[in-house]
Amino acid sequence: MTKYSTKKNTNKEIAVTVKDLHITYRGLKKTSIRASWKHLGDKVELFHALKGVSFEIEEGKILGIIGKNGSGKSTMLRAIAGIFSPDKGSIDLHGRSISLLSIGVGFNKKLTGRENIYLSGMLLGFSEEEIAKKEKEIIDFADIGDFIKKPVKTYSSGMYSKLAFAITAILETDIMLIDEVLSVGDVKFKEKSYNKMKELISDDTRTVIIVSHSLGTIKELCDEVLWLNDGVVKMIGKPEDVIPKYEEFMKQ
Amino acid sequence: MKRFFNNMKKYYKYAIRSAKAELKSEVADSYLNWLWWVIEPFCFMLIYTFVFGFVFPNNELYFASFVMVGQAAWDFFNRMITGSVKLIINNRDLVTKVYIPKYILLFSKSLTYLFKMFISLGLAFGLMLFQHVPLTWHILLLIPVLLVLYVISFGVGMILMHHGVTFNDLGNLTNIALRMVFYLSGIFYNIRTRLSGTLGFILLRANPIAFLMNEARKVCIYGQLPSFEGLAFWLAIGILLCSYGVHVIHKYENSYAKVI
Repeated sequence: MTKYSTKKNTNKEIAVTVKDLHITYRGLKKTSIRASWKHLGDKVELFHALKGVSFEIEEGKILGIIGKNGSGKSTMLRAIAGIFSPDKGSIDLHGRSISLLSIGVGFNKKLTGRENIYLSGMLLGFSEEEIAKKEKEIIDFADIGDFIKKPVKTYSSGMYSKLAFAITAILETDIMLIDEVLSVGDVKFKEKSYNKMKELISDDTRTVIIVSHSLGTIKELCDEVLWLNDGVVKMIGKPEDVIPKYEEFMKQ
Repeated sequence: MKRFFNNMKKYYKYAIRSAKAELKSEVADSYLNWLWWVIEPFCFMLIYTFVFGFVFPNNELYFASFVMVGQAAWDFFNRMITGSVKLIINNRDLVTKVYIPKYILLFSKSLTYLFKMFISLGLAFGLMLFQHVPLTWHILLLIPVLLVLYVISFGVGMILMHHGVTFNDLGNLTNIALRMVFYLSGIFYNIRTRLSGTLGFILLRANPIAFLMNEARKVCIYGQLPSFEGLAFWLAIGILLCSYGVHVIHKYENSYAKVI
């Protein structure tokens, strides 16, 4: 197993600061005329997904987030990506660009692969020029041949995820958020995408937050591990300290 | 409001590209392709002209052009309203995965609707030439009329888009409301001559669509000046609706992903 190590840099900057983060699912509750008639006077149900989480990550570090299902991992990732706003507390990215690695955002299946590179890329916050510069690299990496000129709906599911992965992997941001480490496509591409992922993650200036259930991946990639349990931080520290405790806890 | 303009500046290129993409995908796999954008409004115009010109005869001058201009304006408004209610839910994949100011989605949609409206207006001009409608410079004043129509539709659209997220029945309610506005806007009859009493007076003042349709016909077909006070009034209302819509969306848009 190759253990990733950061160069010791004495004045590392903080890349992400999360302070006392609370996220509640409520407020906008779905209603219809019938439902509101029936539930007139009911109390609004609240679900506290995160209850005051605070942590900081230094630039270039890799943070893994673990915890059982429903402990708020994905919620936190989406909050950091700016898809949710915190109900209380703050998230400071210190002016860095951020993206949640997700596959095939904004794809229009009737259009060609090439057009979808632009649609998806612009949604991730890149300009047309930036995408044009990287277009060739994306197409080469996706490695789907002439299909790039054909509508996405004609793709096999493997080709679809290859293209989608290539877009998110080649268009890089300062901070990357990863919900489950992806490996997609056939055996060959799986290896290629996993290696690319590792390369992206281990870049010295890139800060990464990974949510995963695979403790092997976390151990292999992360510098630090944050253990969430029912919306609160149970433990934060080196993987070798946190993971054994977590395993023990999960066995109970 | 400053945030709105900054976001617009940042995302308008995406909105345009996404609008183009949608138009392209709309015609990608139909036999007559983009011809449908022309055939559809033309056929609807023929139907209205037949039913309300021959079945219920009227003595409206240049009736086919009259219908076509009204229909172009109506279709735009109708599409904006219908489209906005389910917009967030239809874009679920996008909204839950990436941050985008939600009015950009509506803006992008509105571009595709504008495009279709201009096709209809092109048809209307062709029809006007065919019917020998005397053309005057007043037709240029169609631009402010359409601008007011756009601002009002965008404002109402944003508000409906917001409430459509949480309120399931909104689609049904807007359908009924739209049907009512459809018949009360005078797409295939002239409110001024048919409803000459107080009802017509009120409709032309309280229903912006009836008003704007009437103004559009004044400048295109009758070579008259529009009512500038009326336009200014509805523009002000439109801007108010837009500011409210932007405000509500800024306040709540980050919670949409939690609900849908």
